[in-house]
Amino acid sequence: MALGKRRKAAKPFIPPKLQITSMMDMFTIILIFLLFSFSNNPEQMDLDSEMSLPQSTSKLDYKDSIRLVLSKNELKLDGNVVATLENDSIVGLETLYDELKKYRDIADELKKNENEEDRKEHILFLCDKEHSFKVVNAIVKTAGRAGYPNFQFAVVEKD
Amino acid sequence: MSLSRRRRVEDEEIELDMVPIMNMFLVLIPFLLLSASFFHIKAINTSVPVLSSTEASMAPDSKISEVKVTVIVELKENTIVLTAMSDELQYEDLAKLEADIPVNNPEEYPMEELAAHLRYIKESYPKSDTLILVPAPSVVYGTIIQTMDMARSADNSEMFPNVVLSGKVG
Repeated sequence: MALGKRRKAAKPFIPPKLQITSMMDMFTIILIFLLFSFSNNPEQMDLDSEMSLPQSTSKLDYKDSIRLVLSKNELKLDGNVVATLENDSIVGLETLYDELKKYRDIADELKKNENEEDRKEHILFLCDKEHSFKVVNAIVKTAGRAGYPNFQFAVVEKD
Repeated sequence: MSLSRRRRVEDEEIELDMVPIMNMFLVLIPFLLLSASFFHIKAINTSVPVLSSTEASMAPDSKISEVKVTVIVELKENTIVLTAMSDELQYEDLAKLEADIPVNNPEEYPMEELAAHLRYIKESYPKSDTLILVPAPSVVYGTIIQTMDMARSADNSEMFPNVVLSGKVG
């Protein structure tokens, strides 16, 4: 009897209201930040985590082209290792020359067929800022000999 | 009396339904996180010298404002050497453009001083647009990019947009 009375006296269950105002505030801030840093062309680059590109005031966007990446100890052409770096000198520049020559031949063939859009006429060069000019010069000279004298040096935009 | 009570009840019950907005946020945020880029990669155009079949044009009677000068900047370990070459100027005029800038700290080249000299050349011969950069083998890539930046524009004014990177010949 007493138990029944107590049950009757109990208040009906009211589901607790979730206080989402602060969460909404947080989401709004995150959303605005992400909208500002939105890029319709996110960089799909396989960069070495130890590699640091130099900073520049340049505002020029890079074009889709042949990618040459010189990290701390290897040189990659479109993702494939073509040479290595030993004691501040490049080993295997002949491979780079041969590979670029193949690209050149394909580009020349496309030129004949007038497929202008498919041609890659320059090299996007990504290089660690600590490398000496001796190493950089050896690479750019090899590329120039293979028929690619024009480069785009990739840099990180200065704030 | 009854009207005021009803209004009070209505006021208490007005509540925004945030759930659809929350749902939208939960969809948008992962999408934007995936497509966000937190560092922006830009590019600097440059080239290496190549053999050319065309000959340089000679115009001995052209005006100073139309004269083009090609500036050569040699980045050495302890000095920056500035020289100029032109088919349209006499040796004496070119010698006036030469400069030697001492480098006290090889890790920090005096870019402001270099910019001042380049600005002087650009103001003297505004049509000039080419600079040949000749770094010493030990100069690091970061310094080369810094010099290229300075050569292309200083104080938001365009200087030498065509920067050619070359190794020392001879």
